[in-house]
Amino acid sequence: MATSDALSRLRYRLLPDRLFGELLTKSWIDNVIPALALVVTILVMTWIVPGYLTVANLTDLARQVSEFGLIALALTIVILSGGIDLSVGSVFALCVLAALVSMNVLGLPVGVALAATLATGLACGLLNGVLIGYLRLRAFITTLVTLVIYRALYDIIFPRLASAIVGSMPVSPTWDLIGFGTVYGLPVSFAIFAVIAIGVHVVLSRLRPGWRLRAVGGARRSAYNAGINVKLTVCLAYVASGLLTAIAAFLFSARLGSTGADTGIGLEISVLTAVVLGGVSLGGGRGSVGNAVIGSILVLILTSGLIRLSMPGSVNQLILGLVLIAAVLFDAKWVKNRGKLLSKVYVSPTYLKLPNLMPPTGTDVLAVNDRLGAAELIGLGAVEGPEDVVLDRDDNLYTGTRHGTIVRFLAPDYARNEVFARIGGHPLGLAFAPNGDLLTCVGGMGVYRVSPDRKVTKVTDETNRSLLSVIDDSRLRLPDDLDIAPDGRIFFSEATIRYEMSEWAVDALEGRGNGRLICHDPRTGATRTILRGLIFPNGVTICRDGQSLLFAETWACRISRYWFDGPDKGKHEVFLDNLPGYPDNLNRGSDGTYWIALLGMRTKTFDLAMRKPGFRRRMAKRIAADEWLFPNINRGCVLRVSATGEIIDALWDEAGENHPSITSTCEHKGWLYLGGVSNNRIGRVRIEGADPQWTAHDDYWGKR
Amino acid sequence: MSEAAAHGNQARLSSLLKSQEGIVLVLAVLAFVLFSLLLPSFFSPGNILALIRSVSILGILALGMALVVIARGIDVSMIATMVVSVSWAFVIARSGYSLEFALLVGALFAVVAGVLIGVLIAFGEVAPIFATLAAGSVIYGLGRTFFFTLEMQNVPPDAGWFSLIGQGRILGVPVTVVVFGVLCLALHLVLSRTRFGWQTYAMGNNPGAARITGISNRPMIVAQYAISALIAYGAGLVLASSASAINARLFNSTMIYDILLVVVLGGIGLNGGHGKVRNVILGTIFVGILLNGMTIMNIPYTIQNLVKGVVLLLAIVIDSLVNPRDEQTSQQGDL
Amino acid sequence: MRLLKTTKWLAAACIALAGIVTASAQDKGLENPRSTTFRKTLEGKKVVFLPLSMGFDLTEGWAAVMRQQAKRLKYDFEIRDPAWSTDAGTRALQSLISEKPDLIVAHNPDIQSYARLLAQAQAAGIKVVQINLESNTQTDSYVGADWTEIGEQAAQAVVDKCSPGKGASTKVAIDTGVPTAASDVFQLDGIYRVLNQHPDIQVVSQQATEYNPEKARSIMETVLQQHPDLCGAIGIWDNQDTGTASAIQQAGKGDQVFLVTSGGGNKVGCENVEKGLFNLYISYNVPLQGEILNAEIARLLLSDGTAGENKTLYFNPLTQITKANVNQRNCWTLDDLK
Repeated sequence: MATSDALSRLRYRLLPDRLFGELLTKSWIDNVIPALALVVTILVMTWIVPGYLTVANLTDLARQVSEFGLIALALTIVILSGGIDLSVGSVFALCVLAALVSMNVLGLPVGVALAATLATGLACGLLNGVLIGYLRLRAFITTLVTLVIYRALYDIIFPRLASAIVGSMPVSPTWDLIGFGTVYGLPVSFAIFAVIAIGVHVVLSRLRPGWRLRAVGGARRSAYNAGINVKLTVCLAYVASGLLTAIAAFLFSARLGSTGADTGIGLEISVLTAVVLGGVSLGGGRGSVGNAVIGSILVLILTSGLIRLSMPGSVNQLILGLVLIAAVLFDAKWVKNRGKLLSKVYVSPTYLKLPNLMPPTGTDVLAVNDRLGAAELIGLGAVEGPEDVVLDRDDNLYTGTRHGTIVRFLAPDYARNEVFARIGGHPLGLAFAPNGDLLTCVGGMGVYRVSPDRKVTKVTDETNRSLLSVIDDSRLRLPDDLDIAPDGRIFFSEATIRYEMSEWAVDALEGRGNGRLICHDPRTGATRTILRGLIFPNGVTICRDGQSLLFAETWACRISRYWFDGPDKGKHEVFLDNLPGYPDNLNRGSDGTYWIALLGMRTKTFDLAMRKPGFRRRMAKRIAADEWLFPNINRGCVLRVSATGEIIDALWDEAGENHPSITSTCEHKGWLYLGGVSNNRIGRVRIEGADPQWTAHDDYWGKR
Repeated sequence: MSEAAAHGNQARLSSLLKSQEGIVLVLAVLAFVLFSLLLPSFFSPGNILALIRSVSILGILALGMALVVIARGIDVSMIATMVVSVSWAFVIARSGYSLEFALLVGALFAVVAGVLIGVLIAFGEVAPIFATLAAGSVIYGLGRTFFFTLEMQNVPPDAGWFSLIGQGRILGVPVTVVVFGVLCLALHLVLSRTRFGWQTYAMGNNPGAARITGISNRPMIVAQYAISALIAYGAGLVLASSASAINARLFNSTMIYDILLVVVLGGIGLNGGHGKVRNVILGTIFVGILLNGMTIMNIPYTIQNLVKGVVLLLAIVIDSLVNPRDEQTSQQGDL
Repeated sequence: MRLLKTTKWLAAACIALAGIVTASAQDKGLENPRSTTFRKTLEGKKVVFLPLSMGFDLTEGWAAVMRQQAKRLKYDFEIRDPAWSTDAGTRALQSLISEKPDLIVAHNPDIQSYARLLAQAQAAGIKVVQINLESNTQTDSYVGADWTEIGEQAAQAVVDKCSPGKGASTKVAIDTGVPTAASDVFQLDGIYRVLNQHPDIQVVSQQATEYNPEKARSIMETVLQQHPDLCGAIGIWDNQDTGTASAIQQAGKGDQVFLVTSGGGNKVGCENVEKGLFNLYISYNVPLQGEILNAEIARLLLSDGTAGENKTLYFNPLTQITKANVNQRNCWTLDDLK
């Protein structure tokens, strides 16, 4: 038993299973498989083609990539807009013709030739764009027809000028530089391509036109309803396609100085293959410049490599076809199953051994009573999810709700309530600053401040990114509770970095230290993580020494103390271990005590499950989330502990009608106010023998 | 003419112009009348038969394509299936087997190819355009690598009855045209009178709803692609028989685009669920009239292509002007 | 078959002769130093063939003949197959320039596409032989048909049949392939050179068929509808003209329309002549071209000259095949060449 436990602990500590699920959540994972395929192809080619990785050969490849890649970019832009451009091959041919006629036949300067080429591409793209964007023709059939038309134009003009084109060679150093020159060892055309590709990438991913394009491609109707000029956006996509194709044609003309009858025939198919291999999805919205470039290189290496291996053309067709089938098959299955796979493997339990649960004796301090059963109810049905409750100096009661508001109940009878502030996310922990500002941890958003005149400002929503974390942990996902040190620093807990607010309970299945303690210093404005690897850190409260704080680790059933100042600075020790339930918020009480809200009591079953990560993993993989074994968060109680960590009192709701699960307490003038994250009410009970003048506010900041 | 009748005519005309089909019909009639008046040799029984005959192979292929398109698919591998299955049959026949046996093998190959494509689309859930694009490449590569080396395959010698398909006549009508007619009738009956046909329309209209109402979409898709492959094979036989040879290079030509254009021009939308055999016939004959007229006028091939393209563009532009699409009702991912 | 028999007989004779020689004489003969250098120089050289595409009679034929010599003389012979794509062809050529084989045999898709690259290849020291389809750049050698001559011969034959009073009319149709291909450009020039001298011959149709027999068939069918009295037709390539021929046969005008075509002399073409589909078949004789090509390859590989130093060309003789002279000798199958 002990060895198997030890082995299991070792295995779950050493093998970082969670990384697999975390990698799957990254958006760049879509690009990884095409990139891997590319690497494998290059390795195979290097292996079977002698002298593949020579400078000459790579230069050659770079030149081809620059032309082919530009057209792939053109097609990618159009596909991102939700369309398709089959006419790229014919547009390419016409642009080559324009460039060669300008240079060879008319003897124009390079700049003018470039302008003429771009104008040709622009005209072709504009026709497509107007037809598809403004007249709302279907992209597939329209570009099919323009493919035929542009091709016919080429076939009509080309034979008449063919001999004139070959008849003379332009004398232009610039032209030759574009065709054959190098800068810093890179072919000029490749440098041009790289600049354009980076530019397009920036536009697509960082600038407004790119976002609009993706929006139109991803959900055209929504984009239209959101006020985006859909017609113009679509039209511009085709214009961009025409222009990029024209640039490619210009590079091609400079390199070859001639054109054939079949220039550009079938280009649309190979470019489409490249783009799909790279991972751009037909139908819009998904794809990037990286996808297009990877796909282009892959297709070029495959085709040129196979020709170079003296394969018959038919074998090339066969192999390209098979590769395309594999790619589209994988893409289809990937898009469909990525979410499923993610939900299956994301939950990654680990070994957690809790100290043995003390058996209830029935006579000790923890004995069940009904002291909460008679709680007065405040705002029944008016609030939903009051995770934390807090009172101000004027005895008004504040709580956050699931609706993204902070609700204020007005003293003295708390019968009336009003929306104090609208935050947008679910406010969890609440605390008052000495100047009367209300600070709150908002699930999914960060730490916010509400001034007495109800102005909401962000305090912080990020912390320092840890180096080795796959998940971007710089954003706050689930800030839970906060407290304010005498010097104004805000200490707050983030329960988990792996789950969103809506699925916080799933974190219990993992039992790993996914949470952390963070400090925001308003003097410098900096936010820093101070403790990592905490098991669902929850309530935070500053001790009366002003140098340390207590925080609860919910799934570990313990309270720890951390010194952030003074001689013991940095010390971290267990304050209270082996709690009978899962602690939530901690708050100061009168007489130097602390209140601990237990949101649920531990069970032996779940304690056992926490020592069996394999069991929890299988459960998460195989059965529906509704049927998972969760910790008991239905039945809790309130504990009062002394400053040295002895449990001195327990308050229960025996019938479980009003406050079975409690996430927060607040003592105020002899009353204890109760909040619960899944409740629709706030409760209050009188505490016998408590100082009727004691308020937390005074305890923190002194009397007014 | 009474006012009511005039009004009725107007209504009929405007309803005619409300659809792509109607527009193309009007254009076709216009072209026909124009050519008949201007070209002396155009309006003769011989020429009109020649006209239909010259496009009937295109028409046969378009029938197969139409079936797939109605079910919201597309089959761009038809040409590959056609040239490879027919060429392979000829190679087998030339290597000593009987022609009948060889043709059977060819048919079998076509069906297997169609079934595999269908499986890829139905069970692999790959977009039809990519599945068939890739499959075309694979079929062609497979054929050229393993079945035959030369692109050009002549009809095997001593194939008396076979050459009748392409060159014979029944009651003065070329067999090719008869084959086209019979296939049109068959597909029409299948689409309008059988469960398979109704289910095909249902799948094209709304695949999700079709599945929920109990149609087995996947076997249906497999069957549709198998049929289209078989039709492609049939077209290949007619083609080979009438030209005495088949050239595998057709795969590299733009013929597949012509087929798609015939289908779409006739009024079968690529988003499925609509279209009848008469749309295919209309599209085929319209293209036939254009090509035949221009050939008689001795317009060079390249200019013929241009004219064809521009007329096609006109047809779809007029359609979009008459029936503008609405941002709110158009479908996402609709190419 | 016959070749095989001859070889067998020769071999037997050699063995017998060798027997006599070894049996009778002490004389070990003289080493021919030229033979040794010949073989030594050629051994291990690298020759690359860049066809339009493999898979049709011409390129398969040449490749078979060239491969045989390569095997005999122990030099490398490789094929880079761009499968009808000029773009893939230029890419293959570009990569060849950096790869530097000793010699490239290029088959041009048209007169300009490879022109610049072939010049670059020669500048890089690679010798270049062009086969059957030339480019604008003249290289070390060109072997192949003179397309102008084919055009002239074809036109002359049609003129002979269709001059006023001789045929059903003076109407002639021309089916071209791809209008920009070298063979078409030069051949049309040849055709019109002759026809211009005979103004009474009327060209009623000139259409491009894209080498597609079905398209050729449908064009010829329409032409015959329009001109039932057509007298002659010139096709540009035998592979496409099977279609032209079947349109003529179907219209029942096999005797009236005189069809001229040209090609590599493949057996299938000859079959068509025998069947009466082609009336005149101008063959440029692929096996012969292959042999000339082989001689040129050997000559260039042996020569010390740099690439592009001496430029030669050779237009090989043409054979006019008609029903009267069609036989085994002037027709070939791929198996004969392998």
